[in-house]
Amino acid sequence: MELDEMKNLWEGMSNKVEKQELLTKDLIEKVTEEKYHSKLNKIRYSEMIGAIICYSGAIYLILNYMKIEPVAEKIFAVIAIGLLLTLPVISLRSLKGMQKLTISSKPYLDTLNDFGKRKVKFQRFQKLNVSLGLFLILIAIPVLSAIKGVNLSESEYFWTLTFPISVIAFLGFALWVLKSYHKSLEATEKLLSEINN
Amino acid sequence: MNKKEHFTRAIEENEGLIYKVTLLYTDSLQDREDLYQEIVFQLWKSYDSFDEFSKLSTWMYRVAMNTAIYNLKKNNRKVGTTTIDPMVERIAEHKDHSEDEKLKLLHDQIQKLNLLEKGIILLYLEGKSHDEIAEIIGITTSNVGTKISRIKKKLKSQINKN
Repeated sequence: MELDEMKNLWEGMSNKVEKQELLTKDLIEKVTEEKYHSKLNKIRYSEMIGAIICYSGAIYLILNYMKIEPVAEKIFAVIAIGLLLTLPVISLRSLKGMQKLTISSKPYLDTLNDFGKRKVKFQRFQKLNVSLGLFLILIAIPVLSAIKGVNLSESEYFWTLTFPISVIAFLGFALWVLKSYHKSLEATEKLLSEINN
Repeated sequence: MNKKEHFTRAIEENEGLIYKVTLLYTDSLQDREDLYQEIVFQLWKSYDSFDEFSKLSTWMYRVAMNTAIYNLKKNNRKVGTTTIDPMVERIAEHKDHSEDEKLKLLHDQIQKLNLLEKGIILLYLEGKSHDEIAEIIGITTSNVGTKISRIKKKLKSQINKN
């Protein structure tokens, strides 16, 4: 198919679209009466739920802190509380940076550049967030065990089996997740380089 | 005529333009409808910034295409290669299957272009002059010509592979 043929095809479709009434007056009414809520700037519910879960976890650890006995577990608990309080902030801030924007009538290329830069920043934050999140899962195991009164180091297979398997699983999962983020980051960087050449 | 009446008229006269932007930047009927609403909303929001002396369609294309970029699905920012079928069903008043097939092929091939190329080809297919394309996209007129030639070659090679 030649480009001229494509153009003719597109024109044919355009003529049909033009003939149709695609928009009801209701939508214009809704928009002009401020009854329409933009979907662009909404913080997604999943992020909000994630934040609530993290803060609940932090509160649980604070309330049970005195039950944790070994010093190492106490240190892990402090780190876990810090992470639980920080992760939602990082996540929500990066999402807000990605979503809080004003669409203007500036040139398309400027918007593409802005979009690409925001996305790269967002994906870098997400990579950091995922790494910290996975680290949190790892240190939460001894902390929760201490709260439940289980001394992991006394467990027969802890050092020989449970701990090494957990570390390997953690590293494997972390590498897999980070690889997928890396790929998507590369795709955005490629787009930015393509549009500027 | 007040602002709202002006706006309503502008939208009604250019709803085909908005619809065609949504067609190229979405991959499902639901997303298309959502984007359509979002574009009308953003046009209303920035209507005050519209300069009466500039061309209405240039302003509309910019706002519509800029909205489309930010509205791309979070997990699929590149836009998939799905079919044009729902659109074809909606607009086909006749049963010309070969034309439908060609439209589908064209749509699928455009989806493989990057976002800048997609924007340029949309305006080219819409019959915009190189000057207008340059103004909407924000590149020089001579660059428009170069890019269109490149996209032309790319599309041709993609289509020949099919």
